[in-house]
Amino acid sequence: MARAQKKSTDIQIAICGSAGDGTIAAGDILKRAMAKAGYKVIAFDVYPPEIRGFGKCISRVRISSEQTYSLKPLSDVLISLDDSHAIPHVVEVRDFGAVIYEDTPVSMVPEGAHISGHLLLTHLPYGVPFRELSEQVTSSARSRNIAAVGYLAGLYGMPRDVFYGVISDKFSAKPASLTQINIQAFDAAFEVGRDTFRLDEGHLNPPPSNARNGDLMMMSGNGAIVRGCMDAGLDAFFGYPITPATTIMERLASELPVKGKTMLQTEDEISAISATIGAGYAGVRAATATSGPGFALMSEMMGLGAMAEVPAVIFVSQRGGPSTGMPTQTEQSDLNIAVFGSAGDSQRVVLAPTNVEGCYKCAGKAFEIAERYQTPVIVLLDLYLSNRYEAVELPAKNPFKENCSKPVGKLKKDQTYHRFEITKDFISPRAIPGDKGYRHVVTGLEHDEKGRPRDQTHQKMSQKRHEKLLSVPRLPNINMSKRFGDKGKVDVAIIGWGSTFGEILEAMIVARTEGIRCAAMKVVLLSPLPLEPINALLNDSREVLVPELNYEGQFANMLTGATGRSVTRLNRVPGTPMHVQDILDEIRRLAGKKPGKAKGRKRLAAE
Amino acid sequence: MSAQTHIVIIGSGSAGSEAALTIRRRDPECRITQITGSKLLFISRYELPRVFNGVSGWRELLAYPPEFYDKNRITVRRNSWVNRVDAKNKEVLLKHKEEISYDKLLVASGGGGYLPEGLREFRPLMNSFGSYEDAVKIREALPKKGHVIMLGGDMTGLDLARTLVGVGHRVTLVASEQLFWPHEVTDDQRVKFVTVLEDMGIKVELDKKVVAVKQGTKGKPARRVVFDDGGGIDGDAVMPFCGLMPSLDFMIGADVDIERGLLVNPELKTTNDSIWAVGDVCQIWSPEENNYLFYYGWHYIKEMGKIAAINMTGGKKTISTHKDDQLFINKKGEIDSPYWKHK
Repeated sequence: MARAQKKSTDIQIAICGSAGDGTIAAGDILKRAMAKAGYKVIAFDVYPPEIRGFGKCISRVRISSEQTYSLKPLSDVLISLDDSHAIPHVVEVRDFGAVIYEDTPVSMVPEGAHISGHLLLTHLPYGVPFRELSEQVTSSARSRNIAAVGYLAGLYGMPRDVFYGVISDKFSAKPASLTQINIQAFDAAFEVGRDTFRLDEGHLNPPPSNARNGDLMMMSGNGAIVRGCMDAGLDAFFGYPITPATTIMERLASELPVKGKTMLQTEDEISAISATIGAGYAGVRAATATSGPGFALMSEMMGLGAMAEVPAVIFVSQRGGPSTGMPTQTEQSDLNIAVFGSAGDSQRVVLAPTNVEGCYKCAGKAFEIAERYQTPVIVLLDLYLSNRYEAVELPAKNPFKENCSKPVGKLKKDQTYHRFEITKDFISPRAIPGDKGYRHVVTGLEHDEKGRPRDQTHQKMSQKRHEKLLSVPRLPNINMSKRFGDKGKVDVAIIGWGSTFGEILEAMIVARTEGIRCAAMKVVLLSPLPLEPINALLNDSREVLVPELNYEGQFANMLTGATGRSVTRLNRVPGTPMHVQDILDEIRRLAGKKPGKAKGRKRLAAE
Repeated sequence: MSAQTHIVIIGSGSAGSEAALTIRRRDPECRITQITGSKLLFISRYELPRVFNGVSGWRELLAYPPEFYDKNRITVRRNSWVNRVDAKNKEVLLKHKEEISYDKLLVASGGGGYLPEGLREFRPLMNSFGSYEDAVKIREALPKKGHVIMLGGDMTGLDLARTLVGVGHRVTLVASEQLFWPHEVTDDQRVKFVTVLEDMGIKVELDKKVVAVKQGTKGKPARRVVFDDGGGIDGDAVMPFCGLMPSLDFMIGADVDIERGLLVNPELKTTNDSIWAVGDVCQIWSPEENNYLFYYGWHYIKEMGKIAAINMTGGKKTISTHKDDQLFINKKGEIDSPYWKHK
């Protein structure tokens, strides 16, 4: 269009179809190609718990020239590969955005079953014969998802070459003819898109000249966890499949054995944590990954890890709970069990990354912390973060240390090794079973410094296990918390953790443009809390807002309990990420401004 | 009418929109669906020349904002093409294979640009002018002081020609028998009006027969129009303006009488009791002429929409079939036409 266009790019595309339509694959190709072209990309896939052929899949991809932190609540473009699933999502397309759909269905459809009848009058419709385009060049309709991506790429002038590379990579394990077929389908639709007169207001300008084409990798949260584990030198992984943590195990299953390391699928989560702690006791870097229901089973062994002072790393990707809950919906409601779950005073370290790059760092650092402090470390993820893709640039040099255990000193004659010696920093020198001369016993029973069962030592050993962790917030080379936004006194502080922090940051940025003095803090270390920076922010703030995806305000409770400061809670459990608009409205309210009104969007079509 | 009545209007132009609004005013309960092939809501063709006068986007040209349709509960099915009408089952069948049932149907699909048979093979090298997209494509195809070659010379084309000349482009009109269509002018009037056109800055080529439109050669403008005498002219774009052709293929087999257009009585009802037709698509029975006639121009079209709506909602009104629209020369010394008047 001739309309003057902004030079920056910020366009979000949603692709919606049925399981088996290739919806997620189409989104995957799009996000990888755009990252390769040098754009910033955030993507999130939603898929059904049911088997293939049923249920709705949505892949959302936000492509931008500037760094963004979350998905937008409204997409600029919706591509429907299955109208029955896509129709409810039409209202999630912004005004003057585009809806792209199949205009040659296989058979007649009754009135109201076609998506064109559900568009808002502010939407721009693009009917495309995806199926026919695919059939014309491939003799099959199976590439219609690739045709949809091709049409989109042509319509918005996306660079064609990067798609060729991504499609080739995608089908590299398949016969070469399959790659060729899909590129043909892409090309045919690309040309149709390129020749289409575009009327919507989404735009995609070339990436910024300083974009580092090719250096950015598209990576999911779980993918980054795996990368972090491998770079940290993970020796053994034990797990039992559970959504949304399964992909961690799947990827490690293909990476660990080729390096001569161990990956074992156990019979259940109790075995997985037991084996992890056993391996940690034996002196290797070991981990497991699970979700809420599995972690509930692990809680007893978590206590053993704390009591026996054994390093172990547990990745917990949260989903809707309690019980089996909502396996494919996101939530942040396992904070309580992560921090407190187990019998007794069960001290542990809990980290919660807020983005994909953070997943990489936390994964690697978790092993260092577990070794250094000889205790289980939980890395708390959630479905939104596990499955979210971002374009990230990982450090060229491996940033993780190999061995962080406190070394044992040389024993004097007749001196015996005290595995649980109380030292100045409460961390005991750690010997590995089999180290000559350092014979010792570990037990789940309370014990003395030698490891011998002794109830009388409970007070001082509890203090040891507690006090040794107090220096965790001051560990170098990882941001246990970070403040953003206005410095000094602010009207509103927003404190968040986990994946929700992206939405918090976006809301804070908008609020500041409206003249509200505000700051946001991400808290990565959830146990023990980094109270110094948190208290500093609280002292600077007139109002404190804590948005989180759980019903009870678990983090807000922790903050209030630890600081004595009352906070305003914003709790949602829709199974989907928090809306930026909800946070922004609350910031405005707390700042004394009128709540922003979401644009009224009455549906007219398909009465 | 009952709340269940579903009135479907094929077309979202002046006639269809006027009909939809009138129906809603007369019947607050019925369901109204407009079906249009356009991706956009209604933009009057009279507004399209504004694209050359500083309009930067289609939103500025909308006849009614989206809220208008919302407020009046008028569903508009855009980007939807009618394949056929099943009058027996009262269903409209769309190209994307959706079936829309109706109780009453109004056909207001208008007309597409007519192209004489000898020129049809050159259509890919010509620019049409029926939509916002067409207008923008022309704007983008023209360099500064660009040269547009118009074939035919109907009143829609002349309206655009005066705009293009006004913004600094050159226009050459290769006149045909459709010059001044739909006005009927005598030979004397024709000579006089052509002189006025040239005074307005529009070059007119008379008595030239176009035999081909070609791609321009390297270093020359993008198009070349070739005449039967072997000569020709170069231009940046070629646009046919040879009158309108009713868009009614989808009505074949729909249990209605068709001549060149859909035949309707002065109440605008077709030969099917559930189907009415208005605008450029219909021929209205004129008792004065004892014949079915086409009626063009914004005033007629809008009036047709209103009268059809009244009759579809239980009223009884006939349209005046008296024609007195004349081409004339206005006070500025330029040609003018009632067809150009709209609001």
